[in-house]
Amino acid sequence: MTPRARYPFKARLSLSLHNQNLGNLAACLLVLLLTGCSTHSKRISQPRNLFYDGQLQACRDSLENLAKSNRHDRDVVNLDLAVVDLLSGQAKQAEIKLRDVRDRFDHLEQDSLAEKTISMWTDDQARSYAGEDYEKILIRVFLSLSSLMHDGVDAESYTLQIQDKHEELGQRFAERNGNKGPEYQPLPLGFYMRGMLREATLRDYDDAVRNYEIAASMLPNSQPLLWDINRVKSGVHSQPGQGVVYVFAMVGRGPYKVEVAEQPTSDALLIADRIVSAVGPYKLPPTVAPIKIPDIAVPPSDVDCVGIRIDNSPIGPTSSLANIEQLAVSTYRANRNSIIARAVARRVVKKATVVAAKNSMGKEGLTAVGMDLAGIAWEATEAADTRCWGLLPRDIQVLRVEVPAGDHQLHLNPLLGNRPVGPSKSTPIRVVDGLNTYVICWFPDARSVSQIMCSNRAELLSSN
Amino acid sequence: MHRRNWLKSISVITIAGMTGCRGYQYGHVIKPTAENMVGSHEAGAEVFDPLIDEAVAKLLARQNIVTDDCPLGPNGLPMKKSICFVGIENKSAEDIGDFKDKIYNQIDSKILESTCFQSMSKRMVDAGLHETRMRPDALLLPDNMRLFTAVLERNGAPVDYLLYAQLTSGTTKRNSSTQRDYELTLELVNVHTGMNDKLSSEVRKGYHKTAGGKFWNYNPLKR
Repeated sequence: MTPRARYPFKARLSLSLHNQNLGNLAACLLVLLLTGCSTHSKRISQPRNLFYDGQLQACRDSLENLAKSNRHDRDVVNLDLAVVDLLSGQAKQAEIKLRDVRDRFDHLEQDSLAEKTISMWTDDQARSYAGEDYEKILIRVFLSLSSLMHDGVDAESYTLQIQDKHEELGQRFAERNGNKGPEYQPLPLGFYMRGMLREATLRDYDDAVRNYEIAASMLPNSQPLLWDINRVKSGVHSQPGQGVVYVFAMVGRGPYKVEVAEQPTSDALLIADRIVSAVGPYKLPPTVAPIKIPDIAVPPSDVDCVGIRIDNSPIGPTSSLANIEQLAVSTYRANRNSIIARAVARRVVKKATVVAAKNSMGKEGLTAVGMDLAGIAWEATEAADTRCWGLLPRDIQVLRVEVPAGDHQLHLNPLLGNRPVGPSKSTPIRVVDGLNTYVICWFPDARSVSQIMCSNRAELLSSN
Repeated sequence: MHRRNWLKSISVITIAGMTGCRGYQYGHVIKPTAENMVGSHEAGAEVFDPLIDEAVAKLLARQNIVTDDCPLGPNGLPMKKSICFVGIENKSAEDIGDFKDKIYNQIDSKILESTCFQSMSKRMVDAGLHETRMRPDALLLPDNMRLFTAVLERNGAPVDYLLYAQLTSGTTKRNSSTQRDYELTLELVNVHTGMNDKLSSEVRKGYHKTAGGKFWNYNPLKR
């Protein structure tokens, strides 16, 4: 028997309308499905592995493809590309990319209700990524380093921007949380770099003292900072005929975000209840199934600092000035409840949408089951927003050493508990009387193959 | 009823979404005659500009007095005194950030405009500091001063005076209001005699956590 024969006209019309509605809903869900599922952490894993294997060109190609294919990932991918540029000797390109992302993040600090609304129907990945607080500071730190590695013209401006951003973020944190809590931790490295550049003027020692003292107040156990303070209070930048080498060591693999299933906390449910109440006449259900949120993952490290030798004379190990792991974890903890609350509110909105759609189309058994299944599938496609600056080190460490002007050989050795754990790397450096020479090295692990960059490398290569 | 409520909430979200767009940033050029913006948390142009104007004017007025021992130039007029502006020391409670180099250039330019002084190039002073590796504050010791001026003279820049600028502050607190007194001191040291001259200017500024703080603390009926 054909359907035409089986159902009267009115019933056929009703079924056809239901099918049409169902089709529309299915089409909507399909669109929403396409926006979910895949996360940045999955997409970035291949370029990250290539980077740590030392295949910088392959990593760059992979990141460029990712930036082209995923519009929402573009800013964080550009940050990763800037790191690749910096380590492959293209400091100017790195600076341009970092500047672009800095300006984008500053613009994205303003809320967009349109994006917020869309994210309620999809997931947090639909929102433009405005960067974590620590990333905003580190962008300016890397800008300063990039500038120092090619011409240094804007380095001092970037260090001032580090301080401005610190102040701005601190004020915003205080507005959000009543006062500056332990979660808000400025990076000592920014103040250190400002002090370093002011000391290099051979005139503004007072500025150097002020900045080193701020850095020392954040790292009270750092002996090298106390030496720095002592030097700028009563000594000079360097003795006549000598120059200074600063080694910036990027140590370990940095933190990145991964997706986890989480049971909402009572604090998060309270925030979610406020969001849901603002959206419509809905109440939060007493229990909510686990939701997907980002979490911070920090890979284990087999390097804790870098030992420095110059012309076979041991100088000492680098010391930490930016514990990025600790910073990322504390920043995440400060915002965790808001992230969970958004996910809970999204869950409620989706459930309410399915219920409203079911009510509008009647309560036929099979259709209702189909719509419930579609609703479950819709919720299942939700993915956590794991976008982050993925190619950061775990720690940024510095060593300052005063050496006679001229050409020297710099040797770097990865250390774990003060014992060498990998092969030594070396690079020629040229030290200029009364000036600073900057060296950047990266040791993601003991067997890393990435390069060592020197601020006057081009000059050295041309003279050799 | 349920559907109507749902549609209502959807419309609210949509309207809110359409109105909540990210804005742009705008800039404008400030006319030279317009007043400076007054910093809400720390000193800015509204403090440093009058401090510099007053301190330099006082310095020039006092040093403009021509005495018998002033050497005369070929045209019979007193020769300009050569000043080496060593630097600014910030001893105030605030970080002056990018204002430091601006203050230096402002003072330097005003001295250059005067008829009694000629200021030495900052690059020449930097070269002298680089060569001798002396701290600016160590130049006041007689031996260091002799060495430093000898280096400058050898480089073709004889010097008569060393000029130091120092920015200091004093803070008075009263509940949620704060008064900060900013002082700029210019110290002129004669490298031939070792004698010094000191001038200063002051600007006071109040910071308040409430809009009525200014009236409450500074009204004429107070005290």
